[in-house]
Amino acid sequence: MAVGTLGAGTLSGSHDEVVARYNDVDQAYAEQRENRLLGFVLFLVSDVVIFSSFIFAYLYLRSSVPNWPPIAAGGHQLPRFDVAFAGVNSVVLFGSGATMHFALENWKHQKKGRFNGWLIATIVLGAGFLLGQAYEYHSVQLAWSGSTMGATFFTLTGMHGFHVFVGVVYLITLLIQANRGVYTSSKYFGLTAGTLYWHFVDVIWVALFYLFYLM
Amino acid sequence: MAVAAHPGVAGDHIHPAPEGFIRKYVFSIDHKVIGLQYFITGGLFFIIAGLLAEAIRVQLIKPSGLILSPGAYNGVYSVHGSTMVWLVIIPVLTGGFGNFIMPLQIGARDVAFPWLNMLSFWMFPVAGAILFSSFIVGAPDAGWTEYPPISLQGPPGTTVWTVAIFLIGISSTMTGLNFVVTMLKMRAPGMTFTRMTLFVWASLATAVMNMVATAALSAALLALFLERVFDVPFYDPARGGSPILWQHMFWFYSHPAVYIMVLPAFGIISEVFPTFARKPIFGYKMIAFSSILIALLSFMVWAHHMFTSGMAPWLQLPFMIITMIIAVPTGIKIFSWLATLWGGKIWFTTAMMFSLGFILTFTFGGITGVFLAAVPVDLQAHGTYFIVGHLHYVLVGGSVMGILSGIYYWFPKMTGRLLSEKIGHWNFWLFFVGFNGTFLPMHWLGLLGMPRRVATYDPRFQFWNDVSSAFSFVMAVGLLLLFINIAISLRKGKRSGANPWGARTLEWTISSPPPYYNFKHIPAVLKNPYEFSEPLPYLGLDNEQPPGPPVPTFTHPTEVGATR
Repeated sequence: MAVGTLGAGTLSGSHDEVVARYNDVDQAYAEQRENRLLGFVLFLVSDVVIFSSFIFAYLYLRSSVPNWPPIAAGGHQLPRFDVAFAGVNSVVLFGSGATMHFALENWKHQKKGRFNGWLIATIVLGAGFLLGQAYEYHSVQLAWSGSTMGATFFTLTGMHGFHVFVGVVYLITLLIQANRGVYTSSKYFGLTAGTLYWHFVDVIWVALFYLFYLM
Repeated sequence: MAVAAHPGVAGDHIHPAPEGFIRKYVFSIDHKVIGLQYFITGGLFFIIAGLLAEAIRVQLIKPSGLILSPGAYNGVYSVHGSTMVWLVIIPVLTGGFGNFIMPLQIGARDVAFPWLNMLSFWMFPVAGAILFSSFIVGAPDAGWTEYPPISLQGPPGTTVWTVAIFLIGISSTMTGLNFVVTMLKMRAPGMTFTRMTLFVWASLATAVMNMVATAALSAALLALFLERVFDVPFYDPARGGSPILWQHMFWFYSHPAVYIMVLPAFGIISEVFPTFARKPIFGYKMIAFSSILIALLSFMVWAHHMFTSGMAPWLQLPFMIITMIIAVPTGIKIFSWLATLWGGKIWFTTAMMFSLGFILTFTFGGITGVFLAAVPVDLQAHGTYFIVGHLHYVLVGGSVMGILSGIYYWFPKMTGRLLSEKIGHWNFWLFFVGFNGTFLPMHWLGLLGMPRRVATYDPRFQFWNDVSSAFSFVMAVGLLLLFINIAISLRKGKRSGANPWGARTLEWTISSPPPYYNFKHIPAVLKNPYEFSEPLPYLGLDNEQPPGPPVPTFTHPTEVGATR
């Protein structure tokens, strides 16, 4: 695990401060953890840019027609989305954000039984959200390639759904690894990253829910 | 912060050496090997792009065209542009110099995520192979910008193009992320922000732009891919899409990209000038902060590429003004470099010649850029050879000159051998004269009204086209000399020793080429490295002499009356 490079920790305080913050962790790990955390946050930033670009595309295309939902190429009026169903589905996803938070907190206090319970709840809720989204894709009267509304809706929610799917797989991996003793009370970067990622997926959904269902 | 050397602290240990050919040279995680891999791969792509450029110049010798059909011509210039931007300039500057030099200059043993670094590199040759394979199915033919709706109607190679550029974009994003973490977290003790070298400052600004802007390009490419393959309407106006949307998304990346391509070159120039003028750099902080200012402004000017695409007149004014404001931080750099030279004891090495040439050509290209920022001028010059002249002055006269300067400057560090200064000077002069002869006439052709991206042209433009084509061969011979110089030097070049230029940045304090662990002990840094009158500002250096006979130490040629 040790790295060959000794960072100065210039941004985050002196050498001693870095060590003090993780006084139960060896220094090489503490520095490596800081690097990975920053790297992971930056990865999420670049992901935000990708989502923002598509959101820009959506707003641009939306503002270039007089009415939204627009009239499709065939001449028929496209429907509005079902806010009620998507609302319930959103609550499922936001709820999974809360359960993930409890899972990480319980890990920090080494309550492994509760950790497992909350993490499994998160995975079930995440999978439930995906099932809900699959049902919505199936029932909505809209085609991906039929209109700009379909293009932006399916591309953006599809990208988000892909992120949720990757997240669920990642959380399952974390569950297995945690129970095989990969993480300890002081070394659990994977769990921190998983929680960050899961909250990120939540936040993106807040934006998408507003843009497609409420706006 | 305490600045003491700390040999033997926990975490200060050295990796075991990599073993076996594959781990050492192919799937290496050593930033120096990866840097060289970028140089070699980028060099190969540069040769391909150069041959495509010569095909363009040969085609334009006769008004009716000489060797290519109009369709093939479109493919050739599209792939030439795409290759130069994404497979040569960006990878060589960020991946090549960034990988080899940056960790050494911050006193680190490697980048933050070496394995990710290796992955980023290997996406690059794969992307290149994919791009060139587009010639098999019909090369993309809408220029490097691939505007819809032409790119929607283009041959199958256009889809191949989106895949290749998407891959290289992901590679750039990962490199940017990796470098930002490296520069923020892994600097040697005592190396505060104002003690970083100016190349590191430029690399930091570049890495942030690479990370943020390239993601926007990935989104635009993904949408283009989806539209071409699954018929999903984003850009097709017949189905509610908007071609202007592509232009917004593309230029939101590609305007920062021009600074991604030139800021590292600025960084190289900022290293070369103080070293060969033997003077502290003038305006260290202003040069450093102007890089950041350029990076910030570059995100607010993308629509100046779209003045003729139809935009609200009130929107043109802010884009015009902000674009012109970029000339201010750029001017700060130019004048600081000139002030660095002023009163210096200038040593005209090849690296220095290229840096001096850079000042001339880049300033010229920058000034035509201010012309083009003015909306009335742009409306006239848009889509003409004036644009082609302008962009080659900044990309070849700026980025490529910077790269050449950097190669002559750091080649001894990378290989332990000196390049021939004699061949180097021939290289510079042929390149410099050939470059200006090739691209200067394009400004006149543009103002006379010759449109860009045409395989045939009106006979009244023939004279300047022939001048341009003739000089392009001079430039090509100049560049050929670079490869010859490298080949000769690798076989029997003079040993350079650790510091042939008497330079003061950290990479010159260790042997050439550096050992795989870079620094035996991580040094502590007391000041920025440009104060030539003072002793080196490093503590705890443990210089290792390479095995073999001792190498001569540095002497300034003017001090001993030596000539080149």
